[in-house]
Amino acid sequence: MLSWSTATTGGEVDLAAVAAGEGDTRLERGDELLRFATACATADDDELARARAALADVSDEAFMVDAAAVAANFEMMTRLADSTGARLPADRLERSAQAIGVMGADEFVSKR
Amino acid sequence: MDILTQNFSEIRSPTSFCEDVGVGGTTVRDDLAEAHRLAWEHIASPGTWWTAAERVELATTVRLAIDDDDPLPPWVGVTTSDRLPGERIVADVAHDVAYRIGRHAATVSRDVARAVMDEIGELAYVELCAIASSVAAVVHFCRNAGVEVPPFPEPIAGEPSREHPALADAELNWVPVAAPADEVAAVVQAYTAVPAEQVNTWRMADAQYMPEEDMIHADWSRREGGLSRAQMELVAARVAQLRECFF
Repeated sequence: MLSWSTATTGGEVDLAAVAAGEGDTRLERGDELLRFATACATADDDELARARAALADVSDEAFMVDAAAVAANFEMMTRLADSTGARLPADRLERSAQAIGVMGADEFVSKR
Repeated sequence: MDILTQNFSEIRSPTSFCEDVGVGGTTVRDDLAEAHRLAWEHIASPGTWWTAAERVELATTVRLAIDDDDPLPPWVGVTTSDRLPGERIVADVAHDVAYRIGRHAATVSRDVARAVMDEIGELAYVELCAIASSVAAVVHFCRNAGVEVPPFPEPIAGEPSREHPALADAELNWVPVAAPADEVAAVVQAYTAVPAEQVNTWRMADAQYMPEEDMIHADWSRREGGLSRAQMELVAARVAQLRECFF
């Protein structure tokens, strides 16, 4: 889902920071969102608890729950895409080429 | 139908746990709670190609894969381990691919998918994929939000419907889709050959992410002060990157 998602950001997000998991994303609450998203997709429950609290502290709990839901949605969509062999059309791939490079997606085993 | 209603009324949805157990007293908005309640009901209902008991058995394997503290590598079938119950009603190949989609979806190749489809049928495979992806959404939401995942409901008796629309081979997916193929994005058409899964998946996506009709609006937000599109895409991109999902 990386290519699809990054094509919709309109350049508002610093993808290099997203790819690194740290740095200035150029978004309000970007640091906390990036930390939370990283924790959602990794296995450290203690870090997830800290990241969840940190995000709620700079926003509110409804905002945190909505971010949790977005992360969950992409747990769903990544499995949908990879199990059914979803591919992007060539023109969409071309438009996403820079983002794909920044995010290191060319190296993904799921590239097809 | 009375039995269905009675059973369903006793089901606690994942997000109802958010309300009861609480994330600091947070109330989960109604559309998200309802989508997850319906997803859990859907898992335990007769499907299109699998019975409800088979669907719950597969969903349990997916959950095992997600929760596994010592996950098997992608090339090892979970049925060759001692992690599943001894008595099973679903074929081993289906459990093996359910575990793999649950834990290592990026490693599912065309050859793997083809081999499974040759054994269980193409549309049964599509339904299995949809079970896996919807379980992943609910289980991960609960983990992300810090609440307990409820057990699956008891399966509802009944036979699979075996209904499907006119099908077409797709260029943008490995699986057959509802005809005509490739007129919408690959992720949108992926489950169209099994309409009940298509409905459930996109109902969840509407609530978890955004309603499909709003995707054209770059400045969309669910509410004032809520996540902006760019903030949503930051979360989406990071999760997709860590799951190594190229699409």
